[in-house]
This record gives sequence, C-alpha cells and structure tokens, in this order.
Amino acid sequence: MDFKTISFVILAIILAPLAGGLLAGIDRRLTAWFQGRFGPPILQPFYDVIKLLGKEPQVVNYWQIFCVHIYLIASILCVALFAMQADLLMIFFVMTIGAVFMVVGALAVPSPYSQLGAQRELIQMLTYEPLLIIVFVGIYFVTDSFKIADILAYDRPIFLALPLLYLVLTFALTIKLRKSPFDISASHHAHQELVRGVLTEYSGPYLAILEIAHWYDIVLILAICSLFWSTSWIGLVILLAVTYMAEIIIDNVTPRMTWKWMLTYVWAVGISLSFFNMALLYAKSF
Amino acid sequence: MATIVPFGPQHPVLPEPLHLKLVLEDEIVKEALPTLGYVHRGLETLASIRDMDQMVQIVERVCGICSCIHAHTYCMCIEGLMGIEVPQRADFLRVIWSELHRMHSHLLWLGLLADAFGMESMFMHAWRIRERVMDVMEATAGNRVIISVNKIGGVRRDMSPEQLRWVLQVVDELETELDKIKAVLTNDYSVKKRTVGVGVLTYQQAYELGAAGPQLRGSGVAQDMRMTGYGAYKYIDFAPVVEKDGDSWARTMVRFRELYQSIDIVRQLIAKIPDGEIAAKVKGKPTGEIVCRSEQPRGELMYYVRATGDKYLDRVRIRTPTFANVPPLLAMLPGCEMADVPIIALSIDPCISCTER
Amino acid sequence: MAFETMNLVKGQLSSEVLALKNKGYRFVTMTCVDLGDSFDLLYHFDLDLKLTHLRLNVAKADRVVPSISGIYFAALVIENETQDHFGITFDGLALDFGGHFYLEEEVKKFPFCKFTVNKAESAGEGA
Repeated sequence: MDFKTISFVILAIILAPLAGGLLAGIDRRLTAWFQGRFGPPILQPFYDVIKLLGKEPQVVNYWQIFCVHIYLIASILCVALFAMQADLLMIFFVMTIGAVFMVVGALAVPSPYSQLGAQRELIQMLTYEPLLIIVFVGIYFVTDSFKIADILAYDRPIFLALPLLYLVLTFALTIKLRKSPFDISASHHAHQELVRGVLTEYSGPYLAILEIAHWYDIVLILAICSLFWSTSWIGLVILLAVTYMAEIIIDNVTPRMTWKWMLTYVWAVGISLSFFNMALLYAKSF
Repeated sequence: MATIVPFGPQHPVLPEPLHLKLVLEDEIVKEALPTLGYVHRGLETLASIRDMDQMVQIVERVCGICSCIHAHTYCMCIEGLMGIEVPQRADFLRVIWSELHRMHSHLLWLGLLADAFGMESMFMHAWRIRERVMDVMEATAGNRVIISVNKIGGVRRDMSPEQLRWVLQVVDELETELDKIKAVLTNDYSVKKRTVGVGVLTYQQAYELGAAGPQLRGSGVAQDMRMTGYGAYKYIDFAPVVEKDGDSWARTMVRFRELYQSIDIVRQLIAKIPDGEIAAKVKGKPTGEIVCRSEQPRGELMYYVRATGDKYLDRVRIRTPTFANVPPLLAMLPGCEMADVPIIALSIDPCISCTER
Repeated sequence: MAFETMNLVKGQLSSEVLALKNKGYRFVTMTCVDLGDSFDLLYHFDLDLKLTHLRLNVAKADRVVPSISGIYFAALVIENETQDHFGITFDGLALDFGGHFYLEEEVKKFPFCKFTVNKAESAGEGA
C-alpha cells in the first residue's frame, strides 16, 4: 500500500465518527423542527458520548465487553476497507461479523428484554442483508466489478442505471439507522415494549462505544449510497442530502411496525423492485 | 420455551406504574398476571381524619388528569346528603372545567398512544395542542393540572365574560388543530395496521366484565354517565359517542370524537350560562348514605359516601373507571403479540393512581 | 337521594347476584364499610343508568363471604382489595392474591378497619 492510501485510511478512521456524530446531531435538530420543538444542540451526540465514557462500567458478564469491542473494530475496519477501495463483498462480510457480535453480546445476558431484542435484531439483519447483496450484485452487473476502485472509475453515475435498486438500498439504510417504521429491535427513544431492546443491558462506557460504532456504520452506509453518484461531488452531496432528509421525514410520519410486517413488506417490495431493475438492465443491453 | 417478560412497573411506555407479568411464547402472550399497589396511598382512610371540606382537596389528588371531576362528584355526594341546591351558574362553570379536563386528558392519552406505537411526531403535536387547554386552565383557575375550583356548595372562582369569550376562541383554535391530525388517525395505513384488530373486546365481554367509559363505548354499548343529566348536562344536547368494533382503533376513535364533542359542549354551555351566585351556603353536617356517578375521561366514576353527622365522614368509597377496566385488560391480553401489549395497555387509558388511590 | 338497598344474609348472596346477572345488570363495584363490630358489604349493580344495591352485613367474628367472581369475573379486583384492607376472606375467589394485592407481605395490620381484642371472646386481632 502506498503512502496516499495509508493516509487516506487514517483520515477516514479519524473523521468518520466526527462526521457520523455531527450527522446524528443534525438529524435530531431536524426531527425536532418537524415535531414543532427546538431540539438539542447539534453537538449533543458528542456531549452524550463523552458523558457516557466517564461513567462507571456495569456489566452482567464479560462477553458483553468482548462483543462490544469486536463490533467497534468491525465497524472501523469496514470504513478503513472502504477508504482502501477494497471489495464490496469483503466489506459486507466484515459488517455482518460486527452486527452478529452485537447480537451475541445481547444474547449473553439473561434479561428478557435483551433476549427478545437480540432475536428481533437477527430478524432485522435477515431482512436487509439479502437486499444488500442484491444491490451489490446489481452494481456488479453495471460496472463488472465488486471492487470500489473500479466502481469509482465508472464514467456514468450508477444511479441512472439502478434507480430502483437505490430504493432498495434505502430500505437497508432505514433499518440500519434504526428509524421508523423499522426501528423494531432498539428504537431511538426507549418507548417501546422491549425497553431499549438489544441495547438494554449496555450502559456507561460500553453504550458510548456502541454509539461510536453506530456512527461508523452510518458513514459506511452513506458511503455505499454515495457510490451511486460518484462522478461529481455536487451530485453526490445532493443525493445524500435528499436521501437523509427522506429518512427523517419517513421516520416522523410512520409509526413503528411489527417485525412480521417488516419482513413480508421489505422482502416483497425489495425483491420485486430488484427484479424489475435487473430486467430493465438486461432489456437495455439488448 | 416460555419467556417471562416483566412489563413494568418502570416502563418507558407506561405513564403510571403497572406491573404485568407476561408469559410469552414466540412473542405471543400466553398469560398476563397483574400486580398493582405501586402507588397505593390509602386515600379513602383519610376520610376518618379530615373533615369534609378538606376531603375535597384530597379527592382532587386521587388523580391529576381527572382531578376536577373527582372533586365535582364528591361535592355532588355531600350536597345530595345535605340537600344543598347548587346555583345554576356554579353548575355550568363546573361542567365547563370538567369538559376542559376531558379534553386535556384525551389529548394526553393520544400523545401517549402515538408514542406507544412509535410515532413520536404525533405525540409531540398532540401535546402541543394540549398546551392551549393548559393555558386556559391556568388563566381561569390558577393551576395547570390540579385546579381546585370545586367546593361544597359550588365553585370557588368565577369566569368573567371576557374570559368566557377567550375560552371560545381557544376552543375554535383547538378544533382547527384537531382537524389537522384527524386525517392521520382516521386514514393512515400504518396507524391502522397497528391498531385495527388489536385488543378486541366484544359487546358481551365489555358488558359482563364491567368495562367503563370509552372501553365500553368502543365495543358498541351506548352508556355514558352524562346521559343521566347530572350537573349542567341536563341543559345541553348530548349523545354518547359509540363505535362498533371493540378494537384499539375503535377506542381511539371514540376518544378522538369525544374531543370534538367536548368542544361542542363547552360552546353550548358558554352560550347558555346564566348569571348568578357561584356558591350556596353550607351549614351543618351530612347524615345518611348516597351514591353518585359521573363520567370521567376514562369512564364511569362512582362515589359512595356514608356519614353519621360527625365532623368526619364515616366512609368514602371511590370506584374509578380504570379499576373497572383492569379485568377487560386481562381478558384482552392473552393471544396478542408482544408488540401489541403497549397499545392494548394504553388503549384502556390506564390511570393507575386512580385505580389504587 | 333515597338510598334503597336490599338486605341479605350470606346464603342469599350468590342466588341474588345470579338473578341480577340474568336480568342483564352490570357489576359496578362493592363497598365495604366498617361499622364497629360488623362490616357492611354493599354490592352495586347498574342497568340502563339506574343503580340497584345489595347490602350484606358480616360480623367481624365470622369474616368468610362467598365470592361472586364466579358470576361476575370483574369482582375479583375489588374482592382482592377488600381482602387486603379489611381482612374479609372471600371463598372461591377466581384469582386470589391472598391479601397481598396491594399490600406488601410485611404489612400485618388490616389498614382500613379496627379490630379490638375482647378478653371475653377468643376471636379478633390486636389493633
């Protein structure tokens, strides 16, 4: 690896949580505006994480600590791999390892909320992972490669060829960002039947680590979204801004649905949209 | 394998502490065992050490959200025992405040229900609308929630004609705001998906299990204590709001339509309010037994008062509507999904501080 | 307001309540009043917005009353509460919390009524 790539990776690892936290803060501000209230300061997520890091650790067993750290390492690794412009499938697998370890950490605790939340998190993963693979396969069909370096080298924005697959990607984005209607395993405000679901038994510094890992995740998924318009900076920024704004609006106008509904609806709609888009692609190539 | 989930007493979705031990299998509730007693204060025993005027203050604090109506019913009981004739203006004022209480209670409940199924924005909007009602209460009675306006014989304060005109304006604004969220409640696909068919209580079950209020009316039973015409209700047109289906959506619609009904009642009352005294003179001590009922936001409230002419009352028994709605809750829970439990628990509008006094 | 009640003895309770249920009455609630040396149990029922009441007088020495939760399931909540507060035992209660519905196990006295120890009688508990 040359110096340029290494410096890029280090920059990505340092800047990603800062960007993620800032985005989370802007998210809260915008959500508050939609709800007719003021909302916290934009830097609030950083204040929260700093506060959490200073608290006394309380865990049920040591598996929780181990799993939280693996989740963080996996998320950082994903962002680093993206910065190195490595293979998309590799990034997908590392991301999955991180998510599974978070679930294992929740399952290691006998609390019923945590157990139920972990099962629901697994169902969420079951929902979005096939769709994410389909999106990557769609990108392969257009650019003939899974490597990000080649995708970035493609001369036209991929969005124009795969608009419906972008929609499918936004389903995965909604689930990953834990926004209504898919905030089923751990909603942003703990006003749900499982208290905080999969995150119930995490507190203090480990919750802070989970939050930082979540920021890395946000940046990673938005980076994957950005691949869809990689040819011009302005187009990229507009695409991401519109997507995120749509997420916030949908979060505010829908209630939380049940996991059965999520599984049926997202698979049905996601797979149909993907099929349709692929069929269009093949039709064009004739 | 059965999982036992302790739902409550400290639960972010519940407004008041209620403990339900849920036995789940695959996220379907098989059994629900309640435990109450987390806010039991034994307020009924205070009747033996507080005289009847002080008891007005105590019964107001049985519940914050419906405090005015508790005091109203208690005063009705004592006035019935002592044969006191409450002046008409006092009756009208009491009912205006009671209807405002009903509105703020239903708006609070609407926000909590929206929160339970995850729609935080509707929660915030409902509570923002509720703030207007709180403004009215603060301006006319001095306090936002526990408004001590009832006393034996009438009311403590009067509302000037300017205040009444202002209340009419606020009520008009409320109606416009409510129209904005009406479309979401009645037509939204996802809201309906979460509430239609959830927690069904048939007509027969609601009647036999002793359900009260919107619980009963949502299952098709047309019973509302305001139909008996107590207080100023005999001077206005009134018809109970009834829905047929008996599920959470039906109960939501009953309460939402009751908001409009309360606005209508307040308008009728302000149009017809007579001038006059606001309190009658009270002399002597009560003797005898009496039962009075009234309609709280949550349903039928029953007071039994027994007195023997002493300084202290012999017995004050308060039967609150949520107390009557607990058996229907236990009947609705088995067979539902875990995700529906908060919605069902909130659709009975639980006021546990009323239940346990 | 005239307060009319129908006075009963223990044996008549179940049959009267069943008769009311068959006529379509709704169960409102039950009130227990401490009258010094006995309890008054008042049962309130409602049909078409009119109330009707049953009164049962229970001596403190013999505090077992047949439960009506078999006829009206909703009665179990108030019967449990009365068990907690007044020390009356309801025979055949559908869901029996054994006197700990509201109160913790460490509460030994029944809070809503007074019991006096009579040296002549062997029944009763210390107040």
